[in-house]
Amino acid sequence: MYNAEAISAAGIPKVNYLTNGFTLKSWLLTKDHKRIAIMYLITISLFFMAGGMFASAIRLELLTPASDLLESGTYNRVFTAHGVLMIFFFLIPSIPAVLGNFMLPIMIGAKDLALPRVNLLSLYIYWIGGAFTVWALLQGGVDTGWTFYTPYSTTFSNSYVMAVGLGIFINGFSSILTGLNFIVTVHTMRAPGMTWFRLPLFVWAQYATSLVMILGTPVIAITVLLLAIERLVHVGIFDPSIGGDPILFQHMFWFYSHPAVYIMILPGMGVISELISNFSRKKIFGYEFIAFSSIAIAVFGFLVWGHHMFVSGQSIYAGLVFSFLTMVVAVPSAIKMFNWTATMYKGSVSFDTPMLYGIGFMGLFLIGGLTGLFLGATGLVVHLTDTYFVVAHFHYVMVGGQVIAYLGGIHYWWPKMTGKMYSEFWGKISAMLVFIGFNLTFFPQFILGYLGMPRRYASYPEELQVLNIFSTAGASVLGIGLVLPVIYLAQSLISGKPAGDNPWMLPGLEWRTSSPPPTENFEKMPVVTWEAYEFGEDSGLDIEEARRRIQPTASV
Amino acid sequence: MGLDHEEQHIKIPGYLGVFAVLVVGTILTYFAAQIDLDWIFPGANTLLALLIAFTKMTCVMLFFMHVYWSPKMIWLSAVASFFWLAIMFSYTMQDYLTRDSGVFTP
Amino acid sequence: MASHEDTGHFHYHEPGLQHQFEDMGQQEESVSIGMWMFLVQEIMFFGGLFSAYLVFRSKYPMAFAAGSNHLDAFWGGLNTLVLIVSSLTMALTVYFAQKNKRNMQVIMILITMAFGATFLVVKLIEYTDKYNHGLVPVTGWNKKTPPGTEEHATGPCWEHSTEEHVYVNPKGEFQFPDCSLAKLAEEEGFLTKSEKIGYYNPSTGQIDGNKFRDKVRIFYYLYFVMTGLHALHMIVGLGLMTWLLFAAWRGDFSFQYYAPVEMSGLYWHFVDIVWIFLFPLLYLLGRHFLH
Repeated sequence: MYNAEAISAAGIPKVNYLTNGFTLKSWLLTKDHKRIAIMYLITISLFFMAGGMFASAIRLELLTPASDLLESGTYNRVFTAHGVLMIFFFLIPSIPAVLGNFMLPIMIGAKDLALPRVNLLSLYIYWIGGAFTVWALLQGGVDTGWTFYTPYSTTFSNSYVMAVGLGIFINGFSSILTGLNFIVTVHTMRAPGMTWFRLPLFVWAQYATSLVMILGTPVIAITVLLLAIERLVHVGIFDPSIGGDPILFQHMFWFYSHPAVYIMILPGMGVISELISNFSRKKIFGYEFIAFSSIAIAVFGFLVWGHHMFVSGQSIYAGLVFSFLTMVVAVPSAIKMFNWTATMYKGSVSFDTPMLYGIGFMGLFLIGGLTGLFLGATGLVVHLTDTYFVVAHFHYVMVGGQVIAYLGGIHYWWPKMTGKMYSEFWGKISAMLVFIGFNLTFFPQFILGYLGMPRRYASYPEELQVLNIFSTAGASVLGIGLVLPVIYLAQSLISGKPAGDNPWMLPGLEWRTSSPPPTENFEKMPVVTWEAYEFGEDSGLDIEEARRRIQPTASV
Repeated sequence: MGLDHEEQHIKIPGYLGVFAVLVVGTILTYFAAQIDLDWIFPGANTLLALLIAFTKMTCVMLFFMHVYWSPKMIWLSAVASFFWLAIMFSYTMQDYLTRDSGVFTP
Repeated sequence: MASHEDTGHFHYHEPGLQHQFEDMGQQEESVSIGMWMFLVQEIMFFGGLFSAYLVFRSKYPMAFAAGSNHLDAFWGGLNTLVLIVSSLTMALTVYFAQKNKRNMQVIMILITMAFGATFLVVKLIEYTDKYNHGLVPVTGWNKKTPPGTEEHATGPCWEHSTEEHVYVNPKGEFQFPDCSLAKLAEEEGFLTKSEKIGYYNPSTGQIDGNKFRDKVRIFYYLYFVMTGLHALHMIVGLGLMTWLLFAAWRGDFSFQYYAPVEMSGLYWHFVDIVWIFLFPLLYLLGRHFLH
């Protein structure tokens, strides 16, 4: 809960990273990680809206059992576009490229990332890859699903496989360069006194994500390259008629794409660690456990890819190994959930908008994660594979998890990034709409999947229509909940109240500089003498004063 | 910390020595491949070729790429990347080697 | 800069120090870790191809051995030595940069580039040789002979190794008539499970030359993709060397500032290491069957 008295009397500082140059060139050729983050924010939001439009088309089609709005071929292209845009151009970059880029150097007390020009290159590559993909989608897109399984994609599909593949290939390098930059930065750019175990857990999460980006992304790059070559020359190692193996494509594809889902959730978990601890005004429970569990998820995440291939034709023995390891990889995530819950226990919890998203994450990720275990069990998965159960599971973890965490992080750090406060009332309304809409959209899909409705089908049996109508209705509510922040956040830029250095009264290093920060992040480079999430006397913050100022919720 | 400014840990004779090892390794692997070593065990030729290749790679990494004198982080990166390759190879092969193996097939 | 005025210190900026770093040591450490992270991802990039190689070699070892025997190990071995020499000269370039010896640096870079170019020329010779012998796995990408000169091979495919073959290829297809290694493995009893299905005609129960040829084609596909990707990295390396040459000529590098030379060296050595593995795995598979 922020208090009007906490706002600095000076308002927005006159000299900050936003006022340091107003020309287009000063933005497009910037080396400032904060400006790069803002440009990523704008582009990512556009991709999110595009992906959302395709999602709307899917839900509209699925209102009726027959394939009446979109015929099957078109429907295939629509869900592929939704998947490709959302995964490669929204989810994977989202928190690292926007919140990570902006906050990581500030959180460790550095002037910038270690390699600012590499950061700018990463942005350019993202734009180029995105442009290719959007062009290909506008030409008619791809109908293979975002998974591009062979031999359909190499031999039979009559769509823009190579162009979309090229867009994804290029985009992969953006991911790799961002990961590379973060790893170097965390190793070499920490301020004096900022030891590894004083780092905010958001930084640990970004570090773990970066490890996955470096080790996994090149494999999808080579896979897409092989796919493109095979499609081009009509000869390849995925072609069974010459002795090749289409399952090898799946092995290589999922070697990256499973760790990719950890790229898509670890940053979100980092944000949640920040939100839960800070809005409970209590030191996080089990700091080392959460930090190491991020690394554990990153490492173990590479050992489970076969759980996407249980019914593909891989050997049963391999299926057993992957199933067992899938159960193991759930453990670090569970550790985090327990620790977050323990953090909230006996904390002074304030239900500001970011915290609503944080708590929402905990509930939704719990459901998503547990249903993942259902899918990891070899007996059950035979019945549930390629049904809506899988669709519901991954939307719970990706939307209920990462998107909610992303929104929470945006709302949490918005005052820092822009210097303005948004309307708390509308923030809370949107959070509720997102939560309710999301559950109404995706919970029926668990039931649909259990009842056998296949995924990626434009038509379905009549008796499943009621659940589909619930789902589409929920999607409408979710859509409103997702559009509202665009409006009130934009409005805050024009007429929002100045936020001041530390609107939430928190001990983190990022709250010890102005909002928005100056180009070099700090007036004077900090020397860190306090532990992470230190809400005690040593933090230099008068927390009793902050608690006294906490008022009951009032609309602002 | 940074690059090694203090002294030349390895001088020209050292580099030439490593070079000699690499050349010998190449010639050795070429001629060893012509001889049938499968009487020792099947795949012995391949194993020998890989051992020689690993030795050559280690020489290049430690001495030409200066990993021997580099901070632990660099050592760790080099080792970790091979460990990850090993994960990719072994977990892929565990599928191919156990297909139709008779284990757990109904 | 604001922070400098605040602390009241005059900062001597060493040549090449970038604004986000406090000192040269931090910059060098950052650049070094950054370059190694890049190499880690390159290792995983090539690793995907080695993974595919591993899968198919374990499935069809005889086809791989047969295909490998038609690669010229002499040229491959020569290329290995060429790259090792270039690695030496690259390491010496770093050495001379540290020693402030500008002329020696330039000479070493030139020699490195010359050997790198030699590598590519030898590759070109090899690829042309494959083109001439119908060993490029894509139909139409091999030397075509005039139509109407088709010749029917006589006898079963495992006797073709002893025959003299006239090159006939009107459609520029991939050709591999010699399946003698499959026969050898059949007689000695070391065919793999996949080979027992993959090489055989199901109706006649005999080794089928076309099916064997298809598996050899997989070998050549991997050969071209792996060495082609490696050659591409070599070309990028030569570009990097060109930039380095100009910078060294200008006298940019010294005892205080030679990180770009070292980093370029790391890339060059990595490309060398990939070849150190490609050579035995592609060229030296089946030589011991020939004796």
